[in-house]
Amino acid sequence: MNRVLRIAGGVAFAAAAVALVLVLPHWLSDAKAAEFARAGCFFIAIIGLNLVTGYTGQISLGHGALMAVGAYTTAILTADHGLRDLWTIPLAGLVAMAAGFALGLPARRLSGLYLALATFAFAVAMPALLKRFSGLTGGSQGINLFDEALSRSTGALGHVHLAGWTLATNDFLYYLTWGIGLVLSGAAWLLVRGRLGRAFRAVRDSEVAAASSGINISFYKTLAFAISGFYAGVGGSLFVLVSNWFVSPSTFTFDKSLLLVVGAVVGGLGSLAGMALGALFIQFVPTWAANLSSAPGAPSVFFGTAIVLVMILLPGGLGGFLLKLTEPLTRRLYTRSE
Amino acid sequence: MRAMGKSRVLFGVFGALVVVSAASAGGASTPGVTSKQILIGGTTPLSGPASAYAAVAKGADAYFKYVNDHGGVFGRSIKYKYEDDAYDPSQTIQRTRDLVQNEKVFAIYNTLGTEQNLAVRSYLNQLKVPQLLVASGASTWGNDFKKYPWTIGYQPSYKGEATIYGRYIAKTRPNARIGVLYQNDDYGKELVAGLQRGLGQKAKLIVSKQGYDVTDTDVKSQIARLKSKKANTLMVFATPKFAIQSYSSARLLGWRPLVFVNAVSSASNTMTIAALASSKRQTEGSISIAFNKDPVNPRWKGDKAVTLFRTILKKYNGGQGLTDVYNVYGMSSAFTLVDALKHAGKNPTRASVMRAVTHLDERNNPFVLPGIVIRTTPTDHFPIAQARLERYHNGNWVYFGSIVHIG
Amino acid sequence: MLVGVDWAGVAQQVVAGLSSGGTYATLAVALVLIYRATGVVNFAQGELAMFSTFVAWTLTRHGFAYWPAFLVTVLASFAGGIALERAVIRPVERASVLTIAIVTIGLFFIVNGAAFWIWSPEVKSMPNAFSTRPIRIGGVAFAISDLGIIGVSLLAVLLLWLFFRFTKLGLAMRAAALNPESSRLTGIRVSWTIALGWGLATALGAVAGLMAAPPLGSFDQNFMQPILLYAFAGAVLGGIDSALGAVIGSLALGVFLNLLGTYVSWVGTDLRQAAALAVILGVLLVRPAGLFGKLAVRRV
Repeated sequence: MNRVLRIAGGVAFAAAAVALVLVLPHWLSDAKAAEFARAGCFFIAIIGLNLVTGYTGQISLGHGALMAVGAYTTAILTADHGLRDLWTIPLAGLVAMAAGFALGLPARRLSGLYLALATFAFAVAMPALLKRFSGLTGGSQGINLFDEALSRSTGALGHVHLAGWTLATNDFLYYLTWGIGLVLSGAAWLLVRGRLGRAFRAVRDSEVAAASSGINISFYKTLAFAISGFYAGVGGSLFVLVSNWFVSPSTFTFDKSLLLVVGAVVGGLGSLAGMALGALFIQFVPTWAANLSSAPGAPSVFFGTAIVLVMILLPGGLGGFLLKLTEPLTRRLYTRSE
Repeated sequence: MRAMGKSRVLFGVFGALVVVSAASAGGASTPGVTSKQILIGGTTPLSGPASAYAAVAKGADAYFKYVNDHGGVFGRSIKYKYEDDAYDPSQTIQRTRDLVQNEKVFAIYNTLGTEQNLAVRSYLNQLKVPQLLVASGASTWGNDFKKYPWTIGYQPSYKGEATIYGRYIAKTRPNARIGVLYQNDDYGKELVAGLQRGLGQKAKLIVSKQGYDVTDTDVKSQIARLKSKKANTLMVFATPKFAIQSYSSARLLGWRPLVFVNAVSSASNTMTIAALASSKRQTEGSISIAFNKDPVNPRWKGDKAVTLFRTILKKYNGGQGLTDVYNVYGMSSAFTLVDALKHAGKNPTRASVMRAVTHLDERNNPFVLPGIVIRTTPTDHFPIAQARLERYHNGNWVYFGSIVHIG
Repeated sequence: MLVGVDWAGVAQQVVAGLSSGGTYATLAVALVLIYRATGVVNFAQGELAMFSTFVAWTLTRHGFAYWPAFLVTVLASFAGGIALERAVIRPVERASVLTIAIVTIGLFFIVNGAAFWIWSPEVKSMPNAFSTRPIRIGGVAFAISDLGIIGVSLLAVLLLWLFFRFTKLGLAMRAAALNPESSRLTGIRVSWTIALGWGLATALGAVAGLMAAPPLGSFDQNFMQPILLYAFAGAVLGGIDSALGAVIGSLALGVFLNLLGTYVSWVGTDLRQAAALAVILGVLLVRPAGLFGKLAVRRV
């Protein structure tokens, strides 16, 4: 009975999420839809980050750089190799997965702050690497698919016709990012419910205990980074489309990595709805802050204050807060059989 | 092999479902223009690493407010909406899209930064939205107008600036041994390319080029390297912070080359600090170019335009930025835009304003140096293409030579 | 093989590296201090140091000489650090380390923005604490100020060592950071030892800012960000719980950067940062707790 109810609850939640994503563009202007699409990219990357930080307990300051790997994979494949932008999305995920795997290798020996430094180094070095190999990456001018590969950039020119439907470009991008986001969050949910999730959590809660119960810690840490890299790569790939098919090194400075961590924690690690809220937070709060005052520096003050307030008032993040709000309801639904 | 074939089929189906239509042309009435107001927009960093450049938008905004209080343009006031992009190109795109599609601005104006403007150029040209007086010295704004007819720059290009230094050295210092310090991005590399172009046959006078990254803390290592190559002429293609360090590091090494410092860093304020950080002897004789009036330079004491500049900032910007040359730049750019709007007719359209900014012949911009004419033609899209060489002497910049053309 | 190497040039690069490393060292020690006192890395450490530097600059503009301004700023920073801890860290004191780290990121934005709001964005200059007169020995040039800065960071290490080793308060702080629950039981007021840690670290940050700003020639609201980056790397290289390690790590990092950038042509100046970080990573893989750090022995 309990189990049935829980599954029903999960299905209902998923259905509600899908419905919300589907109808939202009705109330959004075209430009707002693009902003939501950008938040969708962050959402996907944050789901990945959550696998590493929320489930395995490893701090990563390098997920912005993994997004860059995905973004440049899409840009290079589309501009130089004649692929259609949409097809490169899974490829971008795979390339970033390889990068995530490499990034996870030091995790075999390092933990805590020392591991954070390894990922931090990756994030800090990324813009310099992108500029150095300018033959491939276009250097600091970046790659502009809007011009170079117009015919292969879906929607860059205007509307998108999809199976008999005509969509405004930004609505299309919105559905694309959040559609992929929902599918990938479903996948993540299944992943962490199973054996893998148990192993991840065991590593987080006590490495020693996990090791003594026969869990290969290094393997699971690296695996978490690799899967997480896939998510960040897909998010980065979509980020190119959402950013007018343009990508350049200063989009992926260390700040992006930091922002993702902020989004994950402010949203509340571990909760899917929370991660969506975290993504919306890092997308919309800076804009909101900039609209409050145009004095130089003032937007930063407001944004920082918002972060501090959320953490103080809602230590479990926005997602934790949401959980608390719905608790009375869920408590009534799940009767404990103790 | 087989699996790959299968996935290709799958992709093919997906691709076939998604067909792109061509963009429809713009609407009939002119967006952003009402009987009372012309709405323009742009982005600028109000937060993040480049917040110092916010002064460019602030200066321009203050000037528009001044113009509005004096009758506006054909009775219309100019409203300039500048939004924060934190110097992140992906945010520039978002904010610009919001300005164009939600705010329905007449034109994008004075957006700051090279990558930031590159990020929205195709988009704006596709929609035929003017991208006016781009605040970046990259030469592509002027060079690529055939491909991007709705985009135009403003300031002298970095490449053109360095060409002038190159020509000057080739002519006056045939035995120079040139060491170059440059910022490792488009801005620095354009300056290096311009220097080589200006030197022409004498490009081999360059004995060493050392780059630095914006995230470096100092340039001690690079300066020591340039000195060890026995350079006697130092090109400083760097932002103020690093330019000041070039002077102090060179002084520490007991090295006194002739310094050419790029216009980005040659404001009087910066040079005063450079002299403090090194010595008066170290900065003496440095060479740069200027095109705006520097409000701190005693040469412009009592100058009408500088007095006006201060009055406007006091009234419309809370008295901030009185010594900041970026504000002057913003005002000169705003002056040119107002000039163009006046020439765009009583009922300006996006096309008519583009015609106006490509037919500028502005001899009365008070914020640029006397004698500089801001001129464009349908085949010359560099509004400010003139400047004056200046030499640092006894703590002040002194102009020398006649007006030089920056091509 | 080594014929033709410009040894004076190499020596100059090493000295320049030590002088750059010196500017990271004091901030690195501040990071270690707050880590040891609270178990958290403070992302706002650099910005707080920047803010203190602006306060001192304002004082010097109002007639204070360097050293009096220095003293006033360091004391004010100490008080400010404690006040800040009470205001924003105290409410999340028992939350996870990650939550506290995010709060410090929020602080980073607030402090940076506030400095832009209060002071104009043009670059500013600070009078020098020590003489910048060049000294040349065998073709290698350096300034007294370089030695002064490294000296100050070593002095900070010594004072901290004495404090943590020989004072009751220092001992209490170490205990509180290591095991807050047991410390509470033995009567240590953990909450206040954390506040004190913030005060000390912020004061030390002020020293770091005031040491770094003059030799850089100029400073602005962002000048501490690259320094924090290298200070963090230096502190981790040295071992995040070792103050002396932080100084040595920072100096080594400064030298690394210069030698890699100057003499490995493939690296050049554009990749030297990436290369230096890669080298640190290599060192960490061999010594997972840094050069001087102790591997934490975990209780199961």
